[in-house]
Amino acid sequence: MAHGNRESADIVTWAKAIAYAAIVCLFALSGCAKPAPLASPGYLQIDLPTAPTAIDPRVTADAISSRVAELIYDSLVRIDRTGAFAGDLAESFERPTPTEMVFHLRRNVRFSDGRPFTARDVKFTYESILDPATLSIKRAGLVELAAVTIVDDYTLTMTTRRPFAPALALATIGIVPRDSSIPGKAASPAPPGTGPFRLARFARDEAVILARNPYHQSLANAVPGLALKVVPDPTVRALELSEGICGFAENDALQAELLPYLAAQPHLRIVRSPGSTYHYLVFNFRDVRLRDLRVRRAIAYAIDRDTIVASMIRGNARVATGVLAPENWAYDGNVTQYPYDPAMARGLLEAAGYSAHARPLRLTYMTTPEGLRLAEVIQAMLRRVGIKIDIHTNEWATFYSDLRNGNFDIASSQWVGIGDPHQYYEIFDSHMTPAAGGNNRGDYSNPRMDQLVEAGDATIDPVVRCAIYRDVQRLSAADLPYVSLWWDDNVAAFDRRLTGFEPYPNGSLLSLAAAVFPTENRLVRTAP
Amino acid sequence: MIRRNPSLAIGAVLVALLTLAAIFGPLVMHTDPFAIDLSHVLAAPSRSHWFGCDSLGRDLLARLIRGARLSLGVSTMVVALSLAIGGLIGGAAALAGGWVDGLVMRGVDIIMAFPGFLLAIALAAILGPGMVDLVIALTAMGWTGYARLVRGEVLSLREREYIEGARALGARPARLLMRHLMPALAGPVAVQATFGIGGIIIAEAALSFLGLGARPPTPSWGNMLDAGRAFILVAPHLTTAPGIAIGLSVLGFNLLGDGLAQFIGHRR
Amino acid sequence: MTRQFLRRLAALLPVALGVVTLTFALIHLVPGDPVSAMLGDYAAPADVAQMRHDLKLDLPLWKQYGGFLAALAHGDLGQSISQREPVALLIREHYPATLELAGAGLAVAIMIALPLGIIAGADAGGPGDIAAMGFAILGISVPHIYLGPLLMILFSLDLGWLPLTGRGGFAHLVLPAVTMGTALAAILARMLRQSLVRIGSADYIRTARSKGLSERAALLRHGLRNALTPVITLIGLEAGGLLTGSIVTEMIFSWPGLGRLLMTAINNRDYPLVQGCVLTFALSYVVVNLITDLFYRAVDPRIRLG
Repeated sequence: MAHGNRESADIVTWAKAIAYAAIVCLFALSGCAKPAPLASPGYLQIDLPTAPTAIDPRVTADAISSRVAELIYDSLVRIDRTGAFAGDLAESFERPTPTEMVFHLRRNVRFSDGRPFTARDVKFTYESILDPATLSIKRAGLVELAAVTIVDDYTLTMTTRRPFAPALALATIGIVPRDSSIPGKAASPAPPGTGPFRLARFARDEAVILARNPYHQSLANAVPGLALKVVPDPTVRALELSEGICGFAENDALQAELLPYLAAQPHLRIVRSPGSTYHYLVFNFRDVRLRDLRVRRAIAYAIDRDTIVASMIRGNARVATGVLAPENWAYDGNVTQYPYDPAMARGLLEAAGYSAHARPLRLTYMTTPEGLRLAEVIQAMLRRVGIKIDIHTNEWATFYSDLRNGNFDIASSQWVGIGDPHQYYEIFDSHMTPAAGGNNRGDYSNPRMDQLVEAGDATIDPVVRCAIYRDVQRLSAADLPYVSLWWDDNVAAFDRRLTGFEPYPNGSLLSLAAAVFPTENRLVRTAP
Repeated sequence: MIRRNPSLAIGAVLVALLTLAAIFGPLVMHTDPFAIDLSHVLAAPSRSHWFGCDSLGRDLLARLIRGARLSLGVSTMVVALSLAIGGLIGGAAALAGGWVDGLVMRGVDIIMAFPGFLLAIALAAILGPGMVDLVIALTAMGWTGYARLVRGEVLSLREREYIEGARALGARPARLLMRHLMPALAGPVAVQATFGIGGIIIAEAALSFLGLGARPPTPSWGNMLDAGRAFILVAPHLTTAPGIAIGLSVLGFNLLGDGLAQFIGHRR
Repeated sequence: MTRQFLRRLAALLPVALGVVTLTFALIHLVPGDPVSAMLGDYAAPADVAQMRHDLKLDLPLWKQYGGFLAALAHGDLGQSISQREPVALLIREHYPATLELAGAGLAVAIMIALPLGIIAGADAGGPGDIAAMGFAILGISVPHIYLGPLLMILFSLDLGWLPLTGRGGFAHLVLPAVTMGTALAAILARMLRQSLVRIGSADYIRTARSKGLSERAALLRHGLRNALTPVITLIGLEAGGLLTGSIVTEMIFSWPGLGRLLMTAINNRDYPLVQGCVLTFALSYVVVNLITDLFYRAVDPRIRLG
């Protein structure tokens, strides 16, 4: 093989060529990148941990999508701070009979494209959801709805199939203008709404840009728009807040452990308020051991929730007594409590004849760093009283499939945004088993509970209803189908100059519509 | 020996030390790597806890030593298996040539082009959580790299003059393989394998996310690194400690591989 | 050469088909299904059944597979279940971002690896070697998930030179590209060094040296070309890996790429979207490898295309 001078020159050329190709490649790529800024100046950037999948309120399913949709679309009624229903597009409403609701609509409301809002838009929205072609997740929630009837342009009635106390929940769906196309079949990702904002841009997995709805009244100096940016990494969200790129983040977007870091930033404010997200452990009654109340009580006594809340959640939660948070109109905290008491737990286990050598119980958790830490702590606490735990941790879809099918011994999960106590029917009525597609995931069955939660749904009078749910809360705390863990606090971190933000127990961002955020002399460090 | 081949000597000593620590460390170390102490959450390194404490107040040093068994064991096993499988298949494909080569390489392409994440979820679902399926998942994703590397090397080597010369002189294929191909292959393969060990330790963390691998509370360097990630801003020691451990083992195996390649090269 | 090239191009088809089939099998094998993921907690069994029927998920698997292939043959990737958009549209939206990131990552890797590998290889055992390889080992030991935030803290938070996240101009590309490229740079540099050292002892280098060229010059002028062969194989391998492995970097840097799309699709068990994404990745991977092989041939013409 000859390696003459000509060839050796080639080799040097080769090395150079590769290096040049690399450089050219880099520049070419950066050249074709679109440098368009995400939003106009003055917009408030809000970091979201996950991307909204849809904006159209007829199909939004996940919490983040609903949170965003709520800023664009009004509904007939809304859930207020206490979990009760308050008028929104409906100025007022009444329930003349147990199966009938009459809504009196606000006048002079316009969609962001200028069209006036009338009862026909409401009827259209509901018919569109019920149309099988829409493939709407919300159709199942409307199973109790018998009819939507237009009385006149500004009066509307809804009738239910049976006397159904929480029927007003049916009226919490965002309203779109009549003749909006089926979601996914339209050119635009979402129809106009009557809310304070309109969708300016939907860059999937990147950002949702909301501009003001020109037909919606707002303060002259209120934020001109919101840039909801998807930032999946918790550390990066904290960095964006501390650099002043992001002006606001809350709850899921903030990791408890990073709050001290954020609190140390002089330009940031941290606001805590009571929240309603409920964390619990659910027992599977198909397991003989867990069917024994003494074993369930032992587990409740063995978990030191005060210490977990204080040290791991850094005090950003309240130890829970039940599904309903204290702010709820139906809340009753006068129930059996389970303070940390390992001796009591051991006694109960002994009485139940629980063998320390039995097959370990499976504790099923969804894999998140926080979830795993909590699982490990609970595992250690239960080991201390003689219960062996195997932690099963899976990514979301597998976890959810196991949870829905009742495929666990003990599972940890949470309920988000619980308003009406009707939830108790969904999770504890013996007819709502996984086999029936319900959320009584542990197959809990108690005739007394069935009787109570069914009565609660059929009773319209709020005072009588409240008394029924007092009994439900007492019974569930004594019977322990769930071990209540804690209610998360609502935590928001934002730029100090942002004023007008009002926290809601369910984490709603709606108050930002009236918030003021001065754009001049911002603390933001300008990146090149 | 040490003068002539310092890589081999230093690498061997490092790997030996790590192995000894993995085997005997937990016996010598009195601190319980599982003892949760919520009053020491994220405690910084101190006299009583040399490397500090993790997010549950567990001693990081004890967990690091305990995790060495799993991380080193799994990674060497996976690399050895991947190398054996990949090397055999890749080498055979190159030597056979023709349609066999084409077929094997398209198969390798299919697996390499396939997202490992999906494969891992599927394996976790089929086999259930545990160490065996972790090794299977990592090997299933890992062997193809070695197959392609070995194939490429063999293809290029068999045209080299000394091999052609040997063939012209009538050397039998087996002899050709042992005397000429193997030593020439040792270098690049050792490089990839020794680097691979570090990659596997890190990949193990990603898979534990899917429920594969070390079952909590069992520590591994990978899952320690992953658990510490959220605390980079407030408690960087959580990631630095396993990071150093991984770095040291990568260094050790690397030098060892280097030295071995040199050793084999000289013998030739 | 042209015929061989065409043959390789034709071989893309079976690979793509293999990947698609494997994906189809695995995604249907794992627990979880798109309908319950989509309908959520309060879905009525009748609705679940109806939706499964509407999405043709109630058909036997082989029929679903047949339908999928038939649509694919017409260039139709179907409709995403969770996002309600055509799969092709979603891929078109996300793919350029991933390509840009992987390309930049590869460029960074090569720009770091070439000088580093040559310094180390030409000076085997010397201080340059130790320094270069020390860096390489550091590079491989630091995972993306740690390096990304570290770079952000240093170059964005502390120095304020570069933007934190998002896709935009050149400045936005630097940190994610370095995050992606560093580990690969380490591997490549290491491979190049090893290659150079091995070749340093080869006969023709000794010959060149005896002709009066200095050792280093001999190595660089005659050895580099041969030393690059395994490096290029590795680039081909890892470039494919860069594409499919971009997910972590995309997560950290809020990069709206295909890796994240695939991740969400797998999470939602969005079958059509998973298949579309995997197919795109697979085709890119195979094309990258084809290019590598051609490159390979240019460096070492004696090698025939496989």
